[in-house]
Amino acid sequence: MKKHRINNIDQKKDIWLYIDFPLLALDAVLTDTDNTQAESAIAIASLQKNVQRIVCCNNHAQKWGIEPALSLSTALAICPNLLVLSRNHEQEERLLHSLALIAYQFSPEVIINDRGLWLELSGCDQLFHSYSKLLQRLHRQMLSLSVTATTGIAMSPLSAQLLCGQKFQYYLPDEDEIHHSLMATELFKLPGNQKQKNHFKQLGLESIGDLQALPRSALSQRFSPELIETLVLLNGEKPCTLNRFTPPIEFSDQIQIPQGLYSKDSLLFSMKTLLQRFCLYLSARQCHCRNVVWRFEPLLGECQSMAITLSGSNNNCSSLLTLSRLRLERLELPQSIEQISLFCDQFIDKPELSFDLFDDQITLDNQSSELIDNLYARLGVDALSQPSMSEEHLPENAGSISPPNRSAKPNYATSKAPQPLWLLTEPTRIQQHNKQLYWRQALTIISGPERLCGNWWQSEQQRDYYLACDSKGARYWVFRESMSKQWFVHGLFA
Amino acid sequence: MPSKPLLKNLLSRQDTWRGRNRSLRKHVITTGNNSLDRLLLGGWPVSALSELVSQQDGIGELSILLPTLKRCANEDKLCVWLDPPYQPYAPALVSAGIPLHKLLVVRCKNSREWLWAAEQAIRGNALLFAWTNQTQPRYTDLRKLQLAAADSRSPAFLFSSTAVLKASSPALLRIELEALKANVLLITLLKLRGKAPGAKIQVSLGDESTERIELDKLPVNIHYPQLKKPDYLLPLKPEVLRLNT
Repeated sequence: MKKHRINNIDQKKDIWLYIDFPLLALDAVLTDTDNTQAESAIAIASLQKNVQRIVCCNNHAQKWGIEPALSLSTALAICPNLLVLSRNHEQEERLLHSLALIAYQFSPEVIINDRGLWLELSGCDQLFHSYSKLLQRLHRQMLSLSVTATTGIAMSPLSAQLLCGQKFQYYLPDEDEIHHSLMATELFKLPGNQKQKNHFKQLGLESIGDLQALPRSALSQRFSPELIETLVLLNGEKPCTLNRFTPPIEFSDQIQIPQGLYSKDSLLFSMKTLLQRFCLYLSARQCHCRNVVWRFEPLLGECQSMAITLSGSNNNCSSLLTLSRLRLERLELPQSIEQISLFCDQFIDKPELSFDLFDDQITLDNQSSELIDNLYARLGVDALSQPSMSEEHLPENAGSISPPNRSAKPNYATSKAPQPLWLLTEPTRIQQHNKQLYWRQALTIISGPERLCGNWWQSEQQRDYYLACDSKGARYWVFRESMSKQWFVHGLFA
Repeated sequence: MPSKPLLKNLLSRQDTWRGRNRSLRKHVITTGNNSLDRLLLGGWPVSALSELVSQQDGIGELSILLPTLKRCANEDKLCVWLDPPYQPYAPALVSAGIPLHKLLVVRCKNSREWLWAAEQAIRGNALLFAWTNQTQPRYTDLRKLQLAAADSRSPAFLFSSTAVLKASSPALLRIELEALKANVLLITLLKLRGKAPGAKIQVSLGDESTERIELDKLPVNIHYPQLKKPDYLLPLKPEVLRLNT
């Protein structure tokens, strides 16, 4: 029985998907520029061994006969109208990482190659009901970043890369089919140096099938140990040891707008795109953010930044966008914005919600934190406050106003004497004429006193608090300073 | 099949007629005072704007709402105080049993912000206490708030001065508060859907004794003997340090 189960585990084979981005260098540079350029022939060039060579080019350029590895001068001679852009490795890497983040939604094992991604898909079909649905959704999401992608599927990473075709395929080939096409793959695609390739030619080996037919011991005598290693990896006899992709510990992304944006409304579109990427990141890391920082950079002059604080539970794209929009209303921006960046490095673990049968409690809690966030974003930090208590005797110190904090604080014991609901920020001196107190109108003392002493270490205060009322029935909290014998009003019993 | 929140919102509205529901107003929250409950046909209307008009502050306009405030705060609802005329005194609120972390005091710079914050609070299902001292909202503004309140599941209270009585109000409930004497409120019903205006009741807010104490008959002050401050409490005089040469 046990043996049988072990066999079963052995039978479960990896399914590796390799997604190649042949035009990655072009896509990385073009995503940020406008679409009018897409009509012309464009190529990316970079310096290789002191010669500017074409790295990749679009379809229009291909029609002219431009191809990778062509030197720039030749390319310009063939096609004088060729628009040549220089390669930007940083942007390429950023694009590849955002693609990896998308892929991470579909598979827990993602490996980044220099121009493509590997995904291990075995078992991932359950969530998406079938492999073809998974592949369709994956492709749709990748297209949202406007990249060209082609795929290959096989039982090991290396063979998937070798089998990478010309388009994004939506069906999962069966094992025999994969084996068959792998054996028919030409040998020059196999990684290795020129000497090894010549060697293959001399031996009359053309396809991988020819090579695999030879015994390993014979191959190890004729070829370097690297080839044997490659074959082992190709057959999936050894697990792939490349580093798996994990989302970075902080999020930072940007969008460049070379033509500049002049109004706040036009900023929102790019901000939404960035927030969508950010939400993808949050779901990949399974956490919530505490605050995000926006930076708006003009070509000249100082950049403006704004921070948005979140109380926790509302981390979806639309509420983040609403908050950013509200906050943006209060921000003075430079005339034209050329780069928008979003940054976040404060995260909290996603709270584990236990769902109520009638889900009232959670919505209530969500609503209040959303409300606080909205008020914060529009009115600013200074506009919101909360009464809080501290262990002091003097009323102006005992009840203070502090920034909102949503957790319950310890409450100190309070006096049993009547206390007013309203407190004047500062005690106001009141006049006294012939045994009569006046503040707005004549006041009469109806009860008291309650003696409060405090602050003896700074300036000694001794106050006798009384309850007073006026002719209309309003009640006041007044006190008499023992030292100066002055009367003050300090609060109202609302 | 309609989605759950949509149906829930529809059913929680006051103006949705439901077959066997005979009583005129079911969505009320008790005031904590029986005679006031009778006056208001059961309590403060939920999902509606209520206006409390008083000539001056300090007569007990907030005290009659304390039971409601306590109840809402203990139900984990956020209570937003918009532009209160004075600073809320925390020890008094604590002794009334109100959790302070459920209160949020919001100060606005202008009437636009005030209206926006009030609407946000209502739509966020918070309990709203809004004061109109600094801002004089127009009829259309209040109408907007009343409409927002009709969709929410919380009561909203507006505190205004008697100056607003000249104009009509879109609020569902409008009462006038006067102090008969200290701790006794006279409440006049000015407007309530489903009841004729003009009814008056007296509400006691606690201790009614109004024994007046003359200033010269106050308990004698106990004077502390003026102690001379010990030397070590005096601020140190800055002294010039001389280097030993």
